[in-house]
Amino acid sequence: MAAASSVLLNLPHPARVRMGEAGAPLQVDGRAIELVRESWLVEDRWWTAQPLRRRYWEVVSTSGRNLVVFHDLSAGDGELGGWFAQVA
Amino acid sequence: MACTPPYVELHCHSAYSFLDGVSLPQELAQQACELGHSALALTDHNSVSGSMELAQAADDYGVRAIHGAELDLASGRHITLLVRDERGWRNLCRIITHAHAHTRDGSSRRERAEPSVDLQVVLDHAEGLVCLTGCAERSAIGGGVRDEPTARRLLDAFGQEGLRVELQRPYARHDRARNRALSAFARRLGVACVASGDVHAHARSRAELQDAFVALRNHATLDASEPLRRGNNSHVMATPQAMVSRFADHPEAVRETLLLAEQLTFDLNMDLGYRYPGAEDAGAGQRLAELCGMRLQERYAGSAERAEAQARLTQELNVIGKLGLAGFFLLHHDMLELSREVAVEVRGPDSVRALLAPGRGRGSSVSSLVCYLIGLSHIDPIANKLALGRFLHEDLRGLPDIDLDFPRDIREVLIPRVHERYGNDRAALVAAFPTFRARGAIRELGKVLGLPAAEIERLARGAERYGPAGAEHDMAQGVGSRSDGAGAREGAVPFAGATLALAPSGRWHWLERLVEEAHRLPRHLSQHSGGMIIATRPLIDCCPVVPAAMAGRQMVQWDKDSCADAGFLKIDLLGLGMLSAVERCVETIERTRSQRIDLSRIPFDDPQTFAAIREADTVGVFQIESRAQMQSLRRTRPENLDDLTVQVAIIRPGPIQGGAVNPYVERRRRLREDPGYEIPCEHPALRPVLEDTLGTIIFQDQVMEVAEAFCGFTPGEAEGLRRAMSRKRSQEMLERHRKRFIAGAMAHAGAGLETAQRVWQMVEGFAGFGFPKAHSAAFGLLAYQSTWLRVHYGPEFLCALLNEQPMGFYAPDSLVHEAEHRGIEILKLDVNASEVQCTVESRGVRLGLGYIKDVTGAEMRELVAEREQSGPFAGLGELAGRIGARRRTLEQLAWSGACDAIVGNNGRRAALWQLGMATPGVGAGEDTQLALPLDLPAAPRLRSLGRWQRLIADYATSGVTAGDHAMAILRKRLVVPMLATSAQLARLPSGGAVAMAGLVIARQRPGTAKGTMFLLFEDEFGTVNLIVPRAVYERYRHLARAEPLLLARGRVERAEGVINLIVRELAALEGFVSGGVEGEQRDAGARVHHLPAPERAPPADEDEAVEVGSSMRAVAPPIQSFAMGRRR
Repeated sequence: MAAASSVLLNLPHPARVRMGEAGAPLQVDGRAIELVRESWLVEDRWWTAQPLRRRYWEVVSTSGRNLVVFHDLSAGDGELGGWFAQVA
Repeated sequence: MACTPPYVELHCHSAYSFLDGVSLPQELAQQACELGHSALALTDHNSVSGSMELAQAADDYGVRAIHGAELDLASGRHITLLVRDERGWRNLCRIITHAHAHTRDGSSRRERAEPSVDLQVVLDHAEGLVCLTGCAERSAIGGGVRDEPTARRLLDAFGQEGLRVELQRPYARHDRARNRALSAFARRLGVACVASGDVHAHARSRAELQDAFVALRNHATLDASEPLRRGNNSHVMATPQAMVSRFADHPEAVRETLLLAEQLTFDLNMDLGYRYPGAEDAGAGQRLAELCGMRLQERYAGSAERAEAQARLTQELNVIGKLGLAGFFLLHHDMLELSREVAVEVRGPDSVRALLAPGRGRGSSVSSLVCYLIGLSHIDPIANKLALGRFLHEDLRGLPDIDLDFPRDIREVLIPRVHERYGNDRAALVAAFPTFRARGAIRELGKVLGLPAAEIERLARGAERYGPAGAEHDMAQGVGSRSDGAGAREGAVPFAGATLALAPSGRWHWLERLVEEAHRLPRHLSQHSGGMIIATRPLIDCCPVVPAAMAGRQMVQWDKDSCADAGFLKIDLLGLGMLSAVERCVETIERTRSQRIDLSRIPFDDPQTFAAIREADTVGVFQIESRAQMQSLRRTRPENLDDLTVQVAIIRPGPIQGGAVNPYVERRRRLREDPGYEIPCEHPALRPVLEDTLGTIIFQDQVMEVAEAFCGFTPGEAEGLRRAMSRKRSQEMLERHRKRFIAGAMAHAGAGLETAQRVWQMVEGFAGFGFPKAHSAAFGLLAYQSTWLRVHYGPEFLCALLNEQPMGFYAPDSLVHEAEHRGIEILKLDVNASEVQCTVESRGVRLGLGYIKDVTGAEMRELVAEREQSGPFAGLGELAGRIGARRRTLEQLAWSGACDAIVGNNGRRAALWQLGMATPGVGAGEDTQLALPLDLPAAPRLRSLGRWQRLIADYATSGVTAGDHAMAILRKRLVVPMLATSAQLARLPSGGAVAMAGLVIARQRPGTAKGTMFLLFEDEFGTVNLIVPRAVYERYRHLARAEPLLLARGRVERAEGVINLIVRELAALEGFVSGGVEGEQRDAGARVHHLPAPERAPPADEDEAVEVGSSMRAVAPPIQSFAMGRRR
């Protein structure tokens, strides 16, 4: 049920992403990426204690699955490199 | 080798998109240059207000300016229009004029509707323009044209060459899909795509302000406006290379920016094609010479100065001929003739006011003999030794400035008449762009950040203006990020005495930063105080014309600087309150004393008038009435009109910062004591130029004269120096002038380096913020005339001042108190005696019913008309029945004391009670349906109002109290003994410690005073000047800025007849009143050496004390509070 509620709230969850030189994901949670459909940028809520700086990627895996991941630009390169997946 | 940048930005908004752009055109041009752009298009929303500024700045930075606008269509869509050639500019101006034509059609012209234009208007004016299909879709703003039928209509009008599909990449989701669809759309239409960046900020540091502006524009907070914002910083100007990468999917659209930019060759600096009426009139020179020759014969007949005048006229006509400006002067003459017709109409043919010229010149034009002869000025430049200098010289570029002052009523009629005379399409007012003020920015941006309203208000009220000692420091202090490291950096904000627990990087700090970023940005489009542009061809071919807030007026979209850069002829028709007041005054004198006074023929050496001026007995007169002027008068001791000319110029930032004031005053004193005293002068070459002002620079023209006499500048170079100093000061340009000045001084006058540098410091310190001598002469004369009226016709002059408010330095309440000290009786409001305006009666000045707040002028006019027609009101029931006034009006009449004569003195409570029972008459069309004149039941026994309560009622209803003073009531109840009064101060030893209590009637903290604040204190005996040094101000800033009744302790300083109280401590007076002001006097024995902590003295009755405490703030009419400001 926990997983279901996080889906409902659409909370991002950490993802393992290997990225290429231009910052685009090459592999997400072990799945190879076939193509990038779109990339966008969210820089917002700067006036709050939790400012957002995210580079989003909408990609398609080699198995044909549509995935949305983002790179949290405000976080340092942590264990997972600041990548998250989100249903979008 | 420089290579062409790969991209040109064709879509960019400046702050002239008002709340949808955060950078000035100059900042955009500079940034474009630094980022390597070769050209930049400015496309503000429905406006070209920033175009001239961009054109000028772009030239400086070597960037090519492209002009255009983003147009709102009536359908809710946007298109971007870019100007290809001269024809295109004309069409763009016409389209924008159309878009604004109906923005003021609502019931109140003050409310402005959003501009938009029918597509057909755009199609009809397509020639010379290139149309881009508009920006990326955003839900709230609407997007560009996306439907094929509309696009095909655009294609028909603009042709394949003139239409592009606009691609943008704001890094939002679905960008790529949209751009793919738009590319396909373009292919179907057979037109090219072009990339654009939709820039809204020149630098990353401004990006947050853009988000805040979006929220502000939508009356929302940042938290609530997420869908409306762009969501990232892609609207910040980027390098051409970055834009190429951004459009990696559409390289052809990037290439197209270059191809298109090449076609957009219109240059606003060269191609405007403006001419003023008379500019091409070959016979103008001859006609001007004849007119001036004729007038010269009349004015100088038999005068010793005739030959000199003749020579000067020949010289001026010569210069005018060379500059081709004869038509310009004839046009002004024509305008003045028009104003004469208007004046006769407004004043009435037999009015004593007809003796006065309809208007008078101010500014540098007063120095011209031609202006004097054709009636533009009333000052004889020969007799007053006014040099032509700045106004007219052979190197003049652009048109000279002529400013005309008119009484307000004449100006109101004249402006629409000028529109009619020259054609509505050929005459318009000049725009003005009020910039964000610190207080407004704090309020607006604080709200956007969702900060608590009460705290924002406290911060705003305590804030200074933007400037050197202004908002930044003030905000920092207010929110606690002080330079001493105390306060919010540790996580707590000491703020106005309270401590707010805030995170160091919280919203208060964002407020500080946003307020700072908003500095200098235009807030909205407004109207200049009176500048008019007149042209030979429709103005809408040169600049869009939009309706102004007042009916019958319209204005161009450019401000005075842009108009000057465009070479527009601007005539300033200014309203001057004092001119209206003196006209009213001579009219009243004729009515009350049957004397017809011609102010141009009064004696100009009247000893009584000059005695009053030297004693600084000048409250209410023109210019020399302010606190600073009055102090200065006692030291300079003017003796004639020439001295007054200097006097009005001396209290200005230029002479103050240039260090001219003290040397001038000191030298005058020494000259008085020893007429043989030789005036020191830095260099003999300066002596002729600075002789009249005792070796100091007082007038703006002296800056130019010094440059010419000392450094050998040509008049044109000297004018360039003046402009560099007075306009937007550029350090680089000033540095160039400095080098040239010093080199010139050494070569031309043989001055040593040190002398040259000292003289430069005098010039540089002056910085241009001063009056030209000619302007001072005109103002000095009016200062004399108004003082003369005040001295000889005190009641009439006071009455005129009260009726012309708001004007001048003092609020009506202070004018009334001061007049009472001079023995003028002020008669109270009375429904059976007062007119709508104040009037002069045999006993004194009667206050007018128009002073009562919350009543309409129509109601008061009806009351007076009814009284005149059917006789006085015998009772309250009758009053209520005979006039069709609202109940609120009746209550205000009762509470203001205007019914005291009917119900007996002290009967305000009874009057209010009885009027509550009365049935008011009902307004029916132009008449009043009378109510039954029933006798009202008598009021129960009500306690009559005490002095204090009466005073509070007066302030609450009319803002003026007569016959009593708050301090007179409070004084015996104060528990601080040994208080000095303003009358005693002159007898106390200089340097002695003193405590004083008073009502603050003026607060000033000028930029030139380095943080010192000046308070003008009034008590029942008069006024005294308080000087609050910076450190003391910082300690008591909220008291100093907002508290009406204060207790001040400090030391007396007396020198040269000037008395000041140098403040050491301040306290609110309410803490020192015993027993309530209406209560018994108690506890007056304790001697207080040090101001005690403001704990309340034991009250006789707790309720009463509470009432007094809260009512003490009501003593100050709002006009005396800093937060409201006092417009002059």
